[in-house]
Amino acid sequence: MAEFNYLGVLLFISVCAVGVTLVFKVRAPRFWRTFLIVDSIVLAVYLFWDYWAIEKKIWSFDPTQTTGIKVLGIIPIEEVLFFIIVPLMSIITYLALINLIAKYKPLAKDRARR
Amino acid sequence: MTYSDLAIYAVLLAVMLDLYIIKSQMLTRGIYWLTWALILPFQLLTNSWLTTNEIVIYSPEQIIGRRLAGAPIEDLLFGFSMILLTLSLWERFKPRDTTSDKEESKAS
Repeated sequence: MAEFNYLGVLLFISVCAVGVTLVFKVRAPRFWRTFLIVDSIVLAVYLFWDYWAIEKKIWSFDPTQTTGIKVLGIIPIEEVLFFIIVPLMSIITYLALINLIAKYKPLAKDRARR
Repeated sequence: MTYSDLAIYAVLLAVMLDLYIIKSQMLTRGIYWLTWALILPFQLLTNSWLTTNEIVIYSPEQIIGRRLAGAPIEDLLFGFSMILLTLSLWERFKPRDTTSDKEESKAS
């Protein structure tokens, strides 16, 4: 099971993302279409850096704790998923906070009026 | 170039893109900093899990050596740059034709 250790971290973040989405009723028009555009750019930038850093041996990954599936020869598939799931989580958090503020802003205004 | 350099360049690039190229100017909005502050503890949690279990191994000569919750402090900069770039791009590419968006831009 150790080979799924990195994947487990990603699963944890994904579960948080789904939880936040449901609890805060995060919705946005054309969410996935917009996310696809955003994450294509993020992936391009960070996979480039990741590739470079792995090649320069700045960081490496424990082969016993990753699945061993690699992209572009040296990047573990977990890293690719990381650069998809973390931006997704960031956007969901951002939208949830906007919802939350919108929900309590009218109350604050009411209180100010009184 | 070490990870320390890379992390600083990542932040500089993200800041430059946000302010002058993408022009979402997330850095000037309170909601961005609030989002970052909320994500930060979770970043520390996952980073510390990844590094203390040595799932990700950093070459010692590539980092300053100061660590926060097990992870090199460079990770904080790298994470900051990724959140900034992501949200900046989101604001740039999200659909603008709905009324709720108009209300939002008026409010900000």
